Amino acid sequence: MKAAITTVTVIDRDAELTLGDLARACGAETAWVVELVEVGIVQARRGRQPADWAFQGDDLRRARQARRLQRDFGVELDAAALMLDLMEEVRRLKARLGALGG
Amino acid sequence: MEFKDYYQALGVDRTASEDEIRRAYRKLARKYHPDVSKEADAEARMREVNEAYAVLGDKEKREAYDNIGAGVSPGQGFAPPPGWDQGFEFAGRPGGFEEDAEFSDFFSALFGAAARRRGGAARMRGEDHHAAIQIDLEDALRGATRDISLRGIQYDAQGRPEVRERTLSVRIPAGVREGQLIRLAGQGMAGAGGGEAGDLYLEIRFRPHPLYRAEGRDLYLTLPVAPWEAVLGDTVQAPTPGGQVEVTIPPGSRNGRKLRLKGRGIPGNPPGDLYLVLDIAWPPADSDRAREAYKNLAREMPFDPRRNLGAQA
Repeated sequence: MKAAITTVTVIDRDAELTLGDLARACGAETAWVVELVEVGIVQARRGRQPADWAFQGDDLRRARQARRLQRDFGVELDAAALMLDLMEEVRRLKARLGALGG
Repeated sequence: MEFKDYYQALGVDRTASEDEIRRAYRKLARKYHPDVSKEADAEARMREVNEAYAVLGDKEKREAYDNIGAGVSPGQGFAPPPGWDQGFEFAGRPGGFEEDAEFSDFFSALFGAAARRRGGAARMRGEDHHAAIQIDLEDALRGATRDISLRGIQYDAQGRPEVRERTLSVRIPAGVREGQLIRLAGQGMAGAGGGEAGDLYLEIRFRPHPLYRAEGRDLYLTLPVAPWEAVLGDTVQAPTPGGQVEVTIPPGSRNGRKLRLKGRGIPGNPPGDLYLVLDIAWPPADSDRAREAYKNLAREMPFDPRRNLGAQA
């Protein structure tokens, strides 16, 4: 069965995620996303009110990783924030190493 | 359908306590966590372990599993008796079914129906799903339509879950970057009670390219040059995604020098740049003439590469 061609939305500056989008995409409550903003795991752009917040694809990736760390290891969110930063640094360094042919 | 031994997957006894199960799961999750694991089959193992823990880590599901599993040995053909889960109400943790699509047919047959009934009456939006799509760099440069196969759960007329494979033709717009997410509205899990379907998020991944390496919208190409081209400067031909171009190597270029070709990376607003990274290639001294040329160079050039080390030549 051949499906019709699906058009997509690229998540970027022109098409950001709302607080509700981000929560739903993680299978979580919006209150949990507010906590993520507070500990700095995701960055709310735009307005001061949660209803005006906007997020990007990177935020969704980090939020889902944080969810997994919480679920798998029962870590607190600020510990998850540190783990995410370290994981990202490792990925960045590995990419550099790969670029240098290492 | 094969019966899955979730106890074996976690390496615990059937009598293991909740604590023991959690500890075993965390140990394995650490070993196979896709972000850190060095094991080759980490992703597949992590799925198994996740599935096992989704059942054994949940008191109600574990009880149901134990009841149904009594007398069945692993690997044996298996079909859940109709109505077997009547007596159970699966509360489920929020987001607990998030990864259903990645679980086995066995899991779906046992727990999919229950999850479905749980939300049966209420109008509920379907959950969002997540997957990755691997594309070629050329697809990001010019845009493309690519097929992606997804496994999802669908329900027959009797409300029995089945795992079905479906193919989506996805239009990849030009200008996508590695790691970027694209959203396919309404292509996630079906809604319940007339609720709308969830969305599908796809993460863009690039297949390794023989020439270019992408960093955001910028592209990097290693450009081999002869020592005299780098030292004296020259005009050479270089490939770019849009075709061959002539580039000027400035005199006195060192190894690793980056030459920027503005706007010749991945398209966008602004478009990315293409960086040519100079890689000085030395001709081999594989003939008398070549060796003589190097010797000549050594004689003619007063050059001490170690002058900054304080060592005497």
